[in-house]
Amino acid sequence: MKLTLKIWRQENAKTKGKLVTYKLSDLSTDMSFLEMLDVLNEELAVKGERTVEFDHDCREGICGQCSLVINGQAHGPEGHYTTCQTHLRSFKDGDSLTIEPFRANSFPVIRDLKVDRTSMDHIIQAGGYISSFTGMAPEANTIPIHHNIAESAFDSAACIGCGACIATCKNSSAALFMSAKIAHLAKLPQGQVERAERVVWMVNAHDDEGFGSCTNTGACAMVCPQEVPLLDITRMNYEYNKSKCTVE
Amino acid sequence: MAIKKGLFKTSIGRKNLMAFTGLFISFFLIIHLVGNLILIIPDSYFPIEFWGNVANAHDMYNAYSHFLVHFWPITLVAWVLYAALIVHVIDALLITLNNNKAKGDKYQVTDNSTSSWYSRNMGILGTIIGIFIFIHMAQFWLQYKVLENEHDLYNLVLATFKEWWVLVVYEIGIIALGFHLVHGIESAHRTLGVYPKRIMGIIKYIALCFGIVMAVLYAIIPIILYFK
Repeated sequence: MKLTLKIWRQENAKTKGKLVTYKLSDLSTDMSFLEMLDVLNEELAVKGERTVEFDHDCREGICGQCSLVINGQAHGPEGHYTTCQTHLRSFKDGDSLTIEPFRANSFPVIRDLKVDRTSMDHIIQAGGYISSFTGMAPEANTIPIHHNIAESAFDSAACIGCGACIATCKNSSAALFMSAKIAHLAKLPQGQVERAERVVWMVNAHDDEGFGSCTNTGACAMVCPQEVPLLDITRMNYEYNKSKCTVE
Repeated sequence: MAIKKGLFKTSIGRKNLMAFTGLFISFFLIIHLVGNLILIIPDSYFPIEFWGNVANAHDMYNAYSHFLVHFWPITLVAWVLYAALIVHVIDALLITLNNNKAKGDKYQVTDNSTSSWYSRNMGILGTIIGIFIFIHMAQFWLQYKVLENEHDLYNLVLATFKEWWVLVVYEIGIIALGFHLVHGIESAHRTLGVYPKRIMGIIKYIALCFGIVMAVLYAIIPIILYFK
């Protein structure tokens, strides 16, 4: 199949970027989206041009490293898939694709399609953990947890931290990413020790990193590769308001 | 309970303020609607017995508006309402400014299929409603309550709605209000943290019904008065 790619090329955060058009032919529909970019980069390398830089790691949809906004949708048109798990069979022969980096003020472009997502780490560092003694893992049945609660906590814990929610949000809010961790730990007994403080610490870090407010449009949950529930944001708001109203 | 400062200051806190003021204004909308439905009670229902006196729509509406203006607890609530409106607007501006700052460069291609147009454009809908409220208050609140130019509010209302442009302005404002409510009511509950899944499902439905019912009932008043 043939594709026309309009790819965002930008030297670094200080320079201005622009879309550059590339044409690829003889592509297989079984190729993953990133393999298609590898093919493009091989062609560019042969010609002696600078290759297109993009983030990737596991290429099996679990690490959260790949990004890209394809034709205006984070991680491409499939919905609830990562870019690496998107294959060319999702597109039609002769399609024209615009490929851009995840955009947010807190995601400075490193080069081309690569952005710096460290600001998300800062939110997690502010409270996305539990305090626990190190050592052997405790016997699994010492803390009984209802199956439904464990499942619900796992739905939130499934977040891979890719940042598609932030890239999609019209306010560049990290609410879904942040709330996934807050909801995950609030649901489980291990998370109770810092439960009240955690949400305040993380929300403060979120604001300090320059992310916007959530206006509940729900676009984030529609693109999330792990299908983190939108309700987690509501859960986070509950935790925040409860903490603000009750903690001395 | 010690409410720490910051309940209204962070990204979530500012949204709390939007939710509280928005829900208060929504509650006012119900009362405002009920009062003004007097205007469209068909003539065949009159004269009816009204607090011991026989009254028509004219007397009933004027007695109701006289009561609103001269009963002090209502004046007090009215001041809270003005404050809520002003806070809602200022808070919206602050949130929008901050959100614009958080946004990076614009996407060359955008795909908006993941959210509804009215949830993305609450600010524009709010601006339309704001302009509408300004016109609405200049027509009635200013004339009747502040300047006291007109003492017969029923006649003033009837005369005002005989103009076709007034009808158009009101219908635009009310449609914007309907969409603003559908997203606003749901969003306010989400912001305040009503998280159980089943309850959120019900609230979503209530928000939709509330927006539609309010818009439809408000919208028919000017239409009926125009043709009356």
